[in-house]
Amino acid sequence: MEEMILKLKQEIIEVLNLEDVQPDDINNDAPLFGEGLGLDSIDALELIVLMEKNYGIKLQDPAKGKEIFKSVNVMADYIQKNRTK
Amino acid sequence: MAGRDSVLITGCGIICAIGQDRKQVLESLLATRTGVGPLRYLKTGHTEFPVGEVKMSDAEMESSMGIAPGTPTTRTALMGMMAMREALDQAGLTAADLPRTGFVDGTTVGGMDKSERYYLDFIGNDSRNEYIGTHDCGSCSEMIADRFGRFRFITTISTACSSAANAIELAADMIRLGEADIVVAGGSECITKFHLNGFNSLMILDHGQCRPFDRDRAGLNLGEGAAYVVLESRESALRRGVKPIAQLSGYGNACDAFHQTASSPDGEGAYLAMMKALADAGLEPADIDYINAHGTGTPNNDLSESQAMRRVFGDCMPPVSSTKSLTGHTTSASGSIEAVICILALENGFTPVNYAFENTDEGLVVPNMKLEPDRPLRHVLCNSFGFGGNDSSLVISNVSEN
Amino acid sequence: MEKEFSYVILDSGRAVVNGRSLEHEQTGNAMLAELYRAHIGDWPKFFKMDTLSKAGFVASELLFKETGETRCGQDEFTAHRAVVLFGTTASLCADTNYQETISDRDNYYPSPALFVYTLPNIVTGEIAIRGHFRGETSFYVVERPDAAQMAFHIACAFDDDVTDSVLAGWVDSRRNDDFQTFFTLVERGALEGLEDRIRTIMNNLNI
Repeated sequence: MEEMILKLKQEIIEVLNLEDVQPDDINNDAPLFGEGLGLDSIDALELIVLMEKNYGIKLQDPAKGKEIFKSVNVMADYIQKNRTK
Repeated sequence: MAGRDSVLITGCGIICAIGQDRKQVLESLLATRTGVGPLRYLKTGHTEFPVGEVKMSDAEMESSMGIAPGTPTTRTALMGMMAMREALDQAGLTAADLPRTGFVDGTTVGGMDKSERYYLDFIGNDSRNEYIGTHDCGSCSEMIADRFGRFRFITTISTACSSAANAIELAADMIRLGEADIVVAGGSECITKFHLNGFNSLMILDHGQCRPFDRDRAGLNLGEGAAYVVLESRESALRRGVKPIAQLSGYGNACDAFHQTASSPDGEGAYLAMMKALADAGLEPADIDYINAHGTGTPNNDLSESQAMRRVFGDCMPPVSSTKSLTGHTTSASGSIEAVICILALENGFTPVNYAFENTDEGLVVPNMKLEPDRPLRHVLCNSFGFGGNDSSLVISNVSEN
Repeated sequence: MEKEFSYVILDSGRAVVNGRSLEHEQTGNAMLAELYRAHIGDWPKFFKMDTLSKAGFVASELLFKETGETRCGQDEFTAHRAVVLFGTTASLCADTNYQETISDRDNYYPSPALFVYTLPNIVTGEIAIRGHFRGETSFYVVERPDAAQMAFHIACAFDDDVTDSVLAGWVDSRRNDDFQTFFTLVERGALEGLEDRIRTIMNNLNI
C-alpha cells in the first residue's frame, strides 16, 4: 500500500501539473479538494481520466468522485479494490 | 450616442431542433414539444447521448437554398443561410439593401463538421482540399453572407456559448453609435464530434432528456441551429416604412472572473450582466415579465444562475424557463435562438415552458411549468453565458412599450 | 503619466519590460516557468495553463508589476478594467495538444484540462480571474497585426462610459515553446498616439 500511495501521488502531481508540489507535501489523509492543493472541478475530471487510463476504472457519475477523492488514502483504497489493470 | 429606444428589431429567422422557421418553432413552443431525441444526422460512435438536431440533412438544406450538389459548404453555414433568408424576408430586405446592411455573426466551431469528416483526406491526399478553406469561423459567416449579396461589412464573434448574444450586442452598439443603420446579427452552429467529445470529457452531458433547474438534473443535451435578428435604427425603419416586431431595449456583458468553464457559486458575472442590461434599458426588475434563462441543465450553471436571478429579482421573480429543454443547448447560436424565442413570446403573449421539470431543488428557482396563453408581456430578459466567464444578457421589449 | 507607456514583450527567447531585458536562462515554455518563479510565484494554476494563457498571464503580471499595482482587482478601479487581446492563430496550439489526446484509437483519453483551453477567450478569462476584472474581455482573431485596427478596438472599449482602463495586447502561439506577446495598459483619455506606439512596439516583435 505504501508503494501504491507514493506512485499515486506521483501520478497526481504529473497529471495535474502540480509543479511545485512534492509527494511528501501531500498528506495521506488530507482532502484533495477544497483547502490544501487548491484543486478544481477540471482537476477532478483529470483524476477520473487517470483512474480509467492507469487502472481501468470507469467512473460514469462525476459526483461519485467526491467520495473517492476525499484523500489519497481513500483514493488508493478505492483503486486497490476496483482496479482492472 | 442615440437613445436607448433607438434599436428596433424588424425581422428575425430561426432554425433549430423544434422547427425550421418561425411558424414551426412557435407551434412547438405552444405545444411544449421537445426536439431532443436520438442522434440521426451526425456520424459518431457516441450514439448514447440524445441531441437536439435540426431535422434536415445537409443535402436537404442545400436543395432548399438552391445550392448545386458538390459545392463546398458546412452545416453551420447552411443553417445560417436558412435563418438569414427568413430574417431578411421578414424585414423586407433585398440584395439591393445589403450594401448598407452589416452582418455580425456568432460561431465558435465554424466548419468543424467537414474538417472532422475529411481530416484524413486533408493529411493523406488532395481530394477534399476545397474544405480546408471552409473550416474557420469567418469563412462560415462569409458563405452565409455571399448567398444573399454584398453586405457592407461582415464580422464574426467567437465567445463560446455567448457568441450570438454578443453579436447582437455589437450590432446594437454600432447602431447606437451611428456606425450603421441596419445590422443582421445572431449566430449559427452545428453539432460536431468536437462538441460531443469535449462536453463528454467534461462529464456535463445528460444521458437522457435534460432537466434544467430540476433537483436531479444531470447535464445538458447538445443542440444545433441558427437564428438572426435584423436590428435597425428607428430612422431607417421609418424611412423604409417597415413595422418593427420588437425592440432591443438594453444589454449587458460582464466577466465572471472565476474559472475557465465553471460559473461562480454566487453567479457574480451573471448578476452583473443582468444588472447592466436592466440599467441600460432604464428598467426595474419588476418590469421584466419573463426570463429566458441560460439554464443548461448542468448542476453548476443552474445553481449559479438561480443565485444570480434571486439577487437581481428578489421577491418579484417573473416566470423563468430554459427553452434548452426543448432545443438542446445550441452553443454559439443559443443567444440568438433564444432571443428569437423571446420575440415569438412577446408577439404572441405567452411564457414558454421549461420542459421535463419535476423536482424542486433548494436554492434553485422553480421554472415555469404551465404555458399561459394570452399573457401580455412588456419586457423579457434573455441570458447567455459562455466558457471563459463571458456572460451576456439582453432585454427585448414589446414595440408598444417605449 | 509614465504608467501609460509601460509595455511588456515576450517571445520564445526574450522578455522585455519597458525596453529593459529581464534575465533568464531558458527559452520557450521553460522561460515562462522561469519568469513565473522569479517574478510571480503565487499562482500555481499557471502550470495548468496552455501556452497561450501562460504567455498572456506572465506578460500581464510583469506589466502590473512594472506599473506598480500591488494586488490587481482588489480596488474598485480595476473592476472596470477591460481585457482586449489580438492574435492570428487563436487557440491553435491548445487545439493541437487536445487533438493529440484523441488521435490514437487505442489510447483514447480526451483530456478535459486540455479541452477547456480550445477557445481563445480563455486567455482573457485567466487574466480576468487573477485580477478580478469584470469588464469587457475580448480576443480578436485577425489576419495580420494591424496597429490601426488594434488602436481602434482598444478605443471602442472605452465607449461604454464605465471602462477606466484596458489591458491590451497581442498574444499568439502556433505551437508549444513558440509564442509572441506584447502587452500594454491603456487608460481612459490616453488614446493619443496609441496607434504609433503600438506600431513601433509591434515592429519589434518577430511575427
